[in-house]
Amino acid sequence: MALSDLAQELEQADPSLARYNRQMLWAPIGVEGQKKLKAARVLMVGCGALGTVLANTLSRAGVGHLTIIDRDFIELNNLQRQVLFDQQDIKDQLPKSVAAQRKIAGINSDVHVEAVVADVNHNNIEQYAKDKHLLLDGTDNFETRFLINDVSIKLNIPWIYGACISAMGLGMVIRPGITPCLRCIFETSPPAGMNPTCDTAGVLGPTVNVVASWQAMEAMKLLTGNIDAVSTRLFSFDLWDNRFQQLNVSRAREIADCPACKHHNYEYLSGKFGSSTTALCGRNAVQISQPPGGKVDFDHIAANLRSVGTPTFNKFMLKCAIGEGQGERRKEYELTLFADGRAIIKGTHEAAVAKAIYAKYVGS
Amino acid sequence: MAIKIRIPTPLRAVTNGADMVEVQAGTVDEALKHLCGQFTGMEKRLYKQPGELNRFVNIYVNDEDIRFLNNLQTPIKDGDDVSVVPAIAGG
Repeated sequence: MALSDLAQELEQADPSLARYNRQMLWAPIGVEGQKKLKAARVLMVGCGALGTVLANTLSRAGVGHLTIIDRDFIELNNLQRQVLFDQQDIKDQLPKSVAAQRKIAGINSDVHVEAVVADVNHNNIEQYAKDKHLLLDGTDNFETRFLINDVSIKLNIPWIYGACISAMGLGMVIRPGITPCLRCIFETSPPAGMNPTCDTAGVLGPTVNVVASWQAMEAMKLLTGNIDAVSTRLFSFDLWDNRFQQLNVSRAREIADCPACKHHNYEYLSGKFGSSTTALCGRNAVQISQPPGGKVDFDHIAANLRSVGTPTFNKFMLKCAIGEGQGERRKEYELTLFADGRAIIKGTHEAAVAKAIYAKYVGS
Repeated sequence: MAIKIRIPTPLRAVTNGADMVEVQAGTVDEALKHLCGQFTGMEKRLYKQPGELNRFVNIYVNDEDIRFLNNLQTPIKDGDDVSVVPAIAGG
């Protein structure tokens, strides 16, 4: 059968799938695979560089349900690589997950996107992951990745690790009970300050695109049931050096005495290694997370802040530059407060300073 | 024997930007010790203590994890590629 005939047949089989014609022509996906994508429920943790490429690719591919969780807001220096965002989103002070949801609505309105503005932590990750077929890593830190790793093993849901810096990237598919998990490969994260971050060493857009596109392809294989095609190796590359490797990690599960997948000791999910205060590496900022509770009153807090700055807010978040101290001791901070009470305080890497500002202007 | 050690981006601040370092060695341990001897700060990035690598760094010889071979005592020969692959967190 000629390709054009096959395409017509595919469209007639289900008119709602016509937009995926070029994708369904790839035989391992076809109509059946496309229907599986439509039925799939995917959790995306983080919607920055990797997350926006993942969300863009998978929504265009027709993944039916995406839950996108991100704790951050959009800044001008994100636009170089975070492909779903634009300058208007910054002017509108949109949280990343909300901006992504709005963009995807214009790309593919058949995709149901749940946007969650929250910090993923050991208290809430299970509720977001429990009904999903796949978990995707769009994060920028190891604490959250090890948390995803724990919940993946506990709930027996596969996840796909991706990470990048400058021109280098890593990726791996973790299938509980079948492949090694992330802690079989890297049992611990490097100590703070040991390795550079994207904020100190930089990151190039093409690097992000390659890692996230690789993750998206592996996601499509998993979600369409093409298990034999799924990567079993650690994908490593350096685009600047033109170097690509598929590293053999197949025996890591039997060799590593892994606390997570061998002993089912979920150290991150139990909160043993979690924290309510997180220094945002390389950003000179601290995040303060709050236990679940009611929404904060932005009107009230803005009124308090007008004596020290000019707060602006919408229904998602409040921002205010705050000057503390006098003369040579004067320090400038920027408070970003979200509706769930979580805050990012720029201008310090010290938890105590951040907590003091929070207590002073937000209350705790 | 001439062994090429590939240096990943996160460690290039230690190697003054070098992405590849050539050393003479017969085992992975010898190769890494030569590397640490050449560059201040490399040892603490690779080793938790003498004879034990940090658990956030993996070493591969021609794409094979040395943990599946003979660990640090894995023999290497002329032309082998040794890759240092650290955990990276960006994204």
